[in-house]
Amino acid sequence: MTMTMTMSTRKLSQLAKTIRSKNAGVNQITFDIVFSDAETYEKVRRSGALTEQSVCRLYGIEPERISHFVEFDVINAIKFTIYRAKPNGSPGESDILGCQQYGPLMDVEVPWEYEEQHGIALNQ
Amino acid sequence: MKQRTMRILIPTGHLGTVPFKLDSFRRGMETGPDFVVADAGSSDPGPVFLGADIPLGFFERDDLEQMLVASRQQGIPMLVGSAGDSGANSRVDWFVSLIKELAQKHEIPRFKLGYFYSEVPKEYLMQKIQDGRSIDGLGGFPPLTMDEIEGTDRIVGVAGIHPFIKLLDMGADVIIGGRCGDIAFTAAPAIRAGFPEGLAYHMGKMLECASLCAEPFMGKETVIGTISEEDIKLTPYHPDQRCTVASAGAHSMYERESPFYEYALGGMLDMRECAFEQFDERTCRISGARWIPSAEMRVKIEGARKVGERYIGITAIRDPHLVQHVDEVIQWSRESVKENFGQTGYELHYHVFGKNGVLKDLEPVKEIRSHELCVVAEGVAANGELAERITDFATRMMFFVRIPGVKGTAGAAAFIEKRPMRATPSYVWSINHTVPVDDPMELFPVHLTEAGVGGA
Repeated sequence: MTMTMTMSTRKLSQLAKTIRSKNAGVNQITFDIVFSDAETYEKVRRSGALTEQSVCRLYGIEPERISHFVEFDVINAIKFTIYRAKPNGSPGESDILGCQQYGPLMDVEVPWEYEEQHGIALNQ
Repeated sequence: MKQRTMRILIPTGHLGTVPFKLDSFRRGMETGPDFVVADAGSSDPGPVFLGADIPLGFFERDDLEQMLVASRQQGIPMLVGSAGDSGANSRVDWFVSLIKELAQKHEIPRFKLGYFYSEVPKEYLMQKIQDGRSIDGLGGFPPLTMDEIEGTDRIVGVAGIHPFIKLLDMGADVIIGGRCGDIAFTAAPAIRAGFPEGLAYHMGKMLECASLCAEPFMGKETVIGTISEEDIKLTPYHPDQRCTVASAGAHSMYERESPFYEYALGGMLDMRECAFEQFDERTCRISGARWIPSAEMRVKIEGARKVGERYIGITAIRDPHLVQHVDEVIQWSRESVKENFGQTGYELHYHVFGKNGVLKDLEPVKEIRSHELCVVAEGVAANGELAERITDFATRMMFFVRIPGVKGTAGAAAFIEKRPMRATPSYVWSINHTVPVDDPMELFPVHLTEAGVGGA
């Protein structure tokens, strides 16, 4: 028998109580991810799944597009704000309130816990 | 000794969009609040409402009627901010006339009706620049130029607490505000009564969207905020809602870049030391916000510039081959428009719902997973006729698209409507800045009149 440790993941939508986006002024959109308890919040925070870098990768933006990124311990929340491509309501703009931009965050995979995997090693 | 408190009731987060719910409003009013307030505007719906001077909602009269009748019955003041969405002068006049008409309809005993304007003359801003005072951009906007002022159709300043306090001092029973901060109309009466500014502004922030500070999520339900010398307490009046540490804390950072700071005319609200605690089953207690006055008074200003008239055409695609090659379909349509109408003099945008219609370049899902797509063509041009023709042509070229491999030879797009539809005109935010002022009232002239029936 062999035993290997693999990291299981959880989707952010399974872990967070609130995931939302909304205009913060006419040229920025702010994203709020709120957790029900400090333990989950801490675990997500430490996992590195939600950082400035991971947000840039997810949305395909340069770091300059992020105007603010903060961990808000008092209410177990992670909040970041990005600049829009163009101000809300401009021609060609299609989320005037900015309230559906959080969609991709729901599927973010958060490394969650090590799981033991047992198997028989055939080449021992 | 009972602590001195002030209770402020808010029935809606945006007066006039859809009518607020009457059960929780009445339940809240039965407890005898000291003020009834509501916000009627925002920059959130985009620049067209300011630029074209049109309202967003269809229920302004209904909401004003409920608030007016209930507040006059109890003899408590009613404060409304950002009349008619943009807070432009015509919107304020409209709300003032609605209040007068409703007061007559319900034969409300004569009362004092105060209002203030918020529109900013272009010459005022140009003079500021000529005087060497910079008009700084917000949210990534560059400093304001003479050309941008010249090209802007309408400008409003965002008032603070000052015109509300002035009108309360003048004896107003009902106040219709021009454009103002959504925390101003709640903070104003509390600050006027001597409550701590930090708590008063924070209560304004917490209440501005009414029941959105409670859980579960419900819009248009009444919430009452209670301020004392030490704290604020938030209580929802829908029986199934609760204000919790999580819901209040989350709302405290709603619609703002940072959870710790909120800027308003005359200073900044510092929420770094805030504490949230569950006071009772349905009430959240908040303390610790501080108001930091700024050395320089700056008024936020908003301006909208017209781009052109706008039409939208809607088409849908179900052929799997066309779905997978939608980029080529759009390219063909766009090139066809160019051949017929030239390269300039219009804007044409295609929104592909089912691919990246909502997120555009921010969409991480690159492959198309839908079996059908909706493509909305948005055409903008100097006049409506050209905008309509371009939009119509763009949607027709989706139908007539020529790309290899199409088996269907009778038409490459489905329609729910064969002609493009006139949309609101296209505007952009040309001004999103702050201008220095010597007096916080200098852009917000106040007026007092009377409404209702009978003698004073």
